[in-house]
Amino acid sequence: MIQVEGMTKIFHDKKRGKIVAVNNLEFNCRKGQVFGLLGPNGAGKTTTLRILATMILPTKGKIMVNELDVVKHAAKVRSQIGFLSSETGLYDRFTPRETVMFFGRINGMKDKIIEKRRAEIFHNLDMEDFQDVRVNKLSTGMKQKLSIARSIIHDPPVLILDEPTVGLDIITARTVTEYVKSFRDQGKCIVYSTHIMREAEKMCDVIAIIHQGNLIAQGTLSELKKNSSSDDLEEIFFELINQGENLG
Amino acid sequence: MSWRNIKLIFIKELVGTIRDKRTIIAMIIIPLIFYPVLFTGIGYFNKLGSMKSEEAASKIIIRGAEFAPQLVKHLRDSEKVEILITEEDSPNKLQNGDVQAVLVIPSDFKYKIEQEEPGKLILKYDTTEAKSRVAQKRVNQIIEKYKGEILLQRISRLNLQEEFLTPLILQEENIATAEKITGSFLAVILPYLIIILIFAGAMHTAVDITAGEKERGTIATLLVSQISRLEIVLGKCFAVMLISFTSMVLGLLGLTLAFLLGASIAGGIEGVNFGISINTIFLLFLVLFPLVGLASAVLVMVGIFARNIREASSYITPIYMLTVFLGVISVSQGMELTGKMFLVPILNSSFVFKEILMGKIYWNHILITFSANIIIAGLALLGATRLFTKEEVLFRS
Repeated sequence: MIQVEGMTKIFHDKKRGKIVAVNNLEFNCRKGQVFGLLGPNGAGKTTTLRILATMILPTKGKIMVNELDVVKHAAKVRSQIGFLSSETGLYDRFTPRETVMFFGRINGMKDKIIEKRRAEIFHNLDMEDFQDVRVNKLSTGMKQKLSIARSIIHDPPVLILDEPTVGLDIITARTVTEYVKSFRDQGKCIVYSTHIMREAEKMCDVIAIIHQGNLIAQGTLSELKKNSSSDDLEEIFFELINQGENLG
Repeated sequence: MSWRNIKLIFIKELVGTIRDKRTIIAMIIIPLIFYPVLFTGIGYFNKLGSMKSEEAASKIIIRGAEFAPQLVKHLRDSEKVEILITEEDSPNKLQNGDVQAVLVIPSDFKYKIEQEEPGKLILKYDTTEAKSRVAQKRVNQIIEKYKGEILLQRISRLNLQEEFLTPLILQEENIATAEKITGSFLAVILPYLIIILIFAGAMHTAVDITAGEKERGTIATLLVSQISRLEIVLGKCFAVMLISFTSMVLGLLGLTLAFLLGASIAGGIEGVNFGISINTIFLLFLVLFPLVGLASAVLVMVGIFARNIREASSYITPIYMLTVFLGVISVSQGMELTGKMFLVPILNSSFVFKEILMGKIYWNHILITFSANIIIAGLALLGATRLFTKEEVLFRS
């Protein structure tokens, strides 16, 4: 579903000069798989996901989403993805029902289909009680549910989730992770970035560790454990980062 | 480009704006309620003040009353004048406001009048005091009346008729139509008001739906949707245009209402007979439409460029000041634009508005203004769309 070969992104900053945000990344993510991008802040996770979501262009590399090139067919790629990050806000003056209707429409869906899908999603996410309350009156948990509903209204086969549990309390965060698992069970391809080890351990089928723009290891949790002296993901993470820094 | 998508964005922005309390306050409450109430209040208090100074009798001191008994009699006969006769010098009383005027009659006054020479009178008053100004006016009227009597006496002594004093009669006829009078009255202030109201109306919405979307993090959700950058920009710009135009109409309505209410309370308006033709309105719209588009497109572009609402506001302040400046130029009387100057946005519109209101229809001016503003608005829209594709603009923080 997602194939990334040699993804590189270089930014030019007036003060700091050339910044290599991501360097020659290679990874694949299949249907029904949660691919975890694990790394500290500033590692390049958000840049990677923004390129996958066609929000920014890669400097180099070939990136395919559902057989479509993100550079050549950006518009088509957008119809294939649901994007959710801690930065994706909601419109305060609209209700959940209106929000989802709007995002369905701008993704080219017909009202009848949106309505059917909305009812289904709101039921599954237990949102019916507040579907007609304006967003500015909703709790953080309710808002996050709405963000999820918004990103999947057009039933995209690929989900790109950029630290979706950041800033959420433990109960809301759990709601999010439960839904991510259910989307995996529905056969969606999910790219999930996080800096929380526990989350990566529990959720991700494949974990890629990214540090200073470089992918320093990837594999299933057991594969990562096998190549390391430790059993704990956090220990493995620091071991790899130290190795990476020594090499660099 | 799909009109359906543009319409989706347009409606979303419109609904969001209308649901914002600040818009309702700025668009409806301030012009339609606050302006009329404010002007009515000003009119009421003005009237109250002038009634007070008109009603009370003016206290005046006359020095040398015995040298002009006839004049003093006239003054005494007036109900609105109260006379204190004294010989002492009393500048303090006038300064303190105990009296409103001092009339000094020199000792040779009676002699000069009898000798048919000009008799001198001195009237002291304080122009900064409303009551003193009223006293001056009243004393003046009585003196004028007395002067007329002396004149009649003098010409009758010479066996002349009253007509002797009127060697010619000038009859003036004003050929200006009601429409032209209204036009020239409106031409002074209306272009300036229209321009300011258009910009003020567009500012808040333009910033809120561009820089505001960035600040709230909602822009990313639009960028990863099926809708194109151009469609987003056009939808937003059309929404700002409608809001800006509506605020201008409501603003003008509010100001007209306020003006009429304020004026009618302060004593009514005379001579202003409103008349404006359909043709004039049509031509005004022809100039108005590109101007609204220009204001909206430029403000949307600036809003997209800015990181957040605060930054956008600081970029827009100088633009607004420039607009006010160009508007003020157009208010100044006697200035005429020449050929190429009609390419300067805002300035061109305000002058063409002025010409149209005065009934001077120069099609070349109208067309140059129309095209110049449309082209600049189009360029701003393209600029805004380009900014939307620039990563460093969209994601800088």
